[in-house]
Amino acid sequence: MSDGHPHEKVRHERSPYAARIRAMEALLVEKGLLTEAEIQDRIAYMDSRSPANGAKLVARAWTDPEFKERLLSGAKSAAGELGLDATHEAELIVVENTPGTHNLIVCTLCSCYPRAVLGRPPDWYKSFEYRSRAVREPRAVMREFGFEPEEGVEVAVHDSTADARYMVLPMRPPGTEDMGEEELATLVTRDALIGVSVPKAPSRAG
Amino acid sequence: MSGVHDLGGSSGGPVDRSQHEVEDWERLADAINSALGGRGLQTTDQHRRAIESLPNYRDLGYYERWTAATEKLLVEKGILTSEEIDEKADEIERRWSGS
Amino acid sequence: MTSFHPGDRVRVRAAEKPGHVRAPDYLKGRSGWISSILGHFPNPEDLAYGLSGMPERTLYRVGFRQSGLWDGYEGPAGDRLYADVYEHWLEPEGEQ
Repeated sequence: MSDGHPHEKVRHERSPYAARIRAMEALLVEKGLLTEAEIQDRIAYMDSRSPANGAKLVARAWTDPEFKERLLSGAKSAAGELGLDATHEAELIVVENTPGTHNLIVCTLCSCYPRAVLGRPPDWYKSFEYRSRAVREPRAVMREFGFEPEEGVEVAVHDSTADARYMVLPMRPPGTEDMGEEELATLVTRDALIGVSVPKAPSRAG
Repeated sequence: MSGVHDLGGSSGGPVDRSQHEVEDWERLADAINSALGGRGLQTTDQHRRAIESLPNYRDLGYYERWTAATEKLLVEKGILTSEEIDEKADEIERRWSGS
Repeated sequence: MTSFHPGDRVRVRAAEKPGHVRAPDYLKGRSGWISSILGHFPNPEDLAYGLSGMPERTLYRVGFRQSGLWDGYEGPAGDRLYADVYEHWLEPEGEQ
């Protein structure tokens, strides 16, 4: 089935690769090259990473200007300050949205993503369509996510072509001056950290 | 002439925003790669290169590519053979189908 | 190999190289500017084959005007793209 455009094949039945990776696991453990314990540790590590970590970093940056500067100049150690272990990333770079610039992250060559902080990337981020189009037509892609930058805002796309991983520091939404860090973090979505969207607006009470 | 993985700027349809439930074998693919890296048995760059060299790259899903590339590297490095992986995978498939 | 500094105008080499390549095709032959220096690392294109990757190469963050990358790009002139490019893929813009 080919329509001339590359796209990911979505499987609904179990992949034949499921048995192959299980086979490799069994053989590697049998031969003493890996242990079940370290495999389970790695699974637990990835399962414990999520966009909530990124949201925490953003909420702290919004409320603490000095932390924000540390986040922008040395994200790995800034993450460490909040107890987030980003040491497995070769380099983590946080790019700041400003009134003049909106940032969008992609990895065209393979789907690099700041997994040590945010966990696994969404399927769409890994799709051939996103990897192909985010560099060439970022505004059209963002529209598909329901977001359009305001008039006069420029778009900066970051293609993670080496080992640095990128995350967006979105702008703090207006009307949130009275909100504490924990509440602010709930406004920061994964999509806002990638740049296809912006944080949620505060809900109006009453 | 770009590699099959070098997708930046290619044409493409709308981005499908649906999300599948991550399966246990996919978690395992992640973990095995990470563990092999931790043991110095493979590196990210080697793994990327192996993924990019897959002849059926466009036909495979993300973790399928990861798994195929891991196998390729393990065999290349003489750590496992294709035959023993085949045999073990068959055994596992048989167990799953309850036969 | 030339050392670049932020602000320098550079072009991505339009070279064909077999094997693992971290300069995407869409940037080959394109001109931009050095945005920042990201550090020095062993060459991943060699590491991919189990080679040492030494000597270390400088990795640069390079900026490009989107209007210079794509025909009919949709967006204002200030829209830009950044990619992380190793020194051996860059040459001064003026060079032939």
